[in-house]
Amino acid sequence: MIYRRRASPLHSARAGAGCAYCLALAIATLTLSNPIALAAMALGVLGAGVAAGVGRQLGRAALLGLPVVAAIVLINVLVSHDGLTVIARLGDLPILGHTDITLEATVYGAILGLRAVALILCGILYTLAVDPDEVLRLFRRVSFRSALSATLATRMVPILIRDGRRLAEAQRCRPGPPPSRLTLMRVACTGVLDRALDVAAALEVRGYGVARRPPAYRPPYSRHDLEFLVAAVAIIAVAIAGRVTGWASFIAYPSVHAAGWSALGVAVGLVAVAWLPFADRRGLRR
Amino acid sequence: MSFRVRTALAAVATAVVCGGCGLGPGPGTKSVSLTITKGFGSQHIGALTRSQVPGSETVMRMLERSYPVSTRYGGGFVASIDGLAAAGPERDWFYYVNGVQAAQGAATTGVHAGDHIWWDLHDWSATDAIPAVVGSFPEPFVNGIAGKRYPVTVECAANVGAACKRVTAQLNAAHVPAAPQLIGTGSGPDTLGIVVGTWPEIRGEVAAELIDHGPGASGVYATFGAGGGSLRLLNPRNQVVRTLGAGAGLIAATADNSSVPTWLVTGTDAAGVNAAAAALTATALHDHFALAVDGTTRLPVPLQGSQ
Repeated sequence: MIYRRRASPLHSARAGAGCAYCLALAIATLTLSNPIALAAMALGVLGAGVAAGVGRQLGRAALLGLPVVAAIVLINVLVSHDGLTVIARLGDLPILGHTDITLEATVYGAILGLRAVALILCGILYTLAVDPDEVLRLFRRVSFRSALSATLATRMVPILIRDGRRLAEAQRCRPGPPPSRLTLMRVACTGVLDRALDVAAALEVRGYGVARRPPAYRPPYSRHDLEFLVAAVAIIAVAIAGRVTGWASFIAYPSVHAAGWSALGVAVGLVAVAWLPFADRRGLRR
Repeated sequence: MSFRVRTALAAVATAVVCGGCGLGPGPGTKSVSLTITKGFGSQHIGALTRSQVPGSETVMRMLERSYPVSTRYGGGFVASIDGLAAAGPERDWFYYVNGVQAAQGAATTGVHAGDHIWWDLHDWSATDAIPAVVGSFPEPFVNGIAGKRYPVTVECAANVGAACKRVTAQLNAAHVPAAPQLIGTGSGPDTLGIVVGTWPEIRGEVAAELIDHGPGASGVYATFGAGGGSLRLLNPRNQVVRTLGAGAGLIAATADNSSVPTWLVTGTDAAGVNAAAAALTATALHDHFALAVDGTTRLPVPLQGSQ
């Protein structure tokens, strides 16, 4: 799951705009608790992923997130004593004591799980659709050496993965039992460290250590940059408005109260704002 | 299906059936009352009685069903009830079920038939442990503690026969079987005892010794003078506000860590004990942590301010 350039509006936008857009989606997810609004956020991120050409990866991540949701729900119903509507009695359990499962704790656990999945999707959308090198370039004027280190580190990760696969395939060709994951990891890590030493030596020879602060890099704003920046601001504005006005209110304890139609309005607004920048397919970078 | 799997399933099923497990809230209970006060019962905030209570009801659920409540520490402790929050570093909400401070959080304390739940917001600078209060009389004698009824004994000193009869009659009127007996002849850690006698006569009792050690040990904001001839009434800050002399009586309840509460109906002299016994009614004790009696004057303890 790594970044690959694609012909999509999000890929065409500058890294700063892409970052702001993904960050806005994450902030909105953290701001809202209403299940309709949170479901809209998850849908919005998935839709954005589809429009950016990374829908399959996001869908797979969403499926992988289901066990996370189940785990969060399970933990919350066992740990939380809140809620008025008892749906099951588990009696006295070791460590946990007297345990009743309440509807409210179940709902709140599901909300937490949904929020976790939506946040994971935001992170994956960022990983797949925002150029990491460009992101690091944003920070090189702040701290050149840190940006360089981070760039090299992120470059090493796919190499580490490829090395691991190659080593595993090679070892499978040998007779005897297959090697353990630990053995593979140790060999791959050793290789990466060797490679890192080579890179460090090359950088030293080329004088990167004495490099000065690079000049500012300010390309003109493209239509996609502006659209995603406006979308980011609008997403945060809609989320905050939904929370402050109570249109997307949600209370889990002691009994569940959730805004209905108004939350639906907020949800539609969020999805529309999140998807709108993808409607403009002109001027895509390939 | 292998034998092991079947055995495991049978064990799980048995545990589910026998361990109080099941779907839904389970059978409900009846006649539970809830009282909210502040300042050791001095200010009434609200009260209600529910004729039917859903199954699996806890003290916290009943409170949340009836009043807006905010909680802290994961929902186990009450921060405010009906918007009334502790306004100070050493003030908090405490609750008593049938006049007994619960050993666990409200979220895990179950509600039983006939329970009287009492929430009070008070200053705990003198003590945060008040094991028992008298304001729920005739509880805990009628419905017991945590759903379990206990045998009741009335232990009487030698020269307070009239007061002893009065106490016994009050219990019998509440359908609590109790017979008077001599001090030290029958009460145990699993017996709800009422000790009746002048302070010099009963001060050897464990409960009286706790009161002698002050509120920090007994939760009772009153102590007797050295010879038992005076009764010092304290405020929530553990300061003596008023001292009563001859004819003063006290009704208080306390407990050590290992036993159910013991009530004391006592006084500086026989007249004081008689006055205290006369005050052993639900009306006179209503919402009081303890009650001092000076002739016909009844003084809820602890005293508030310069009362």
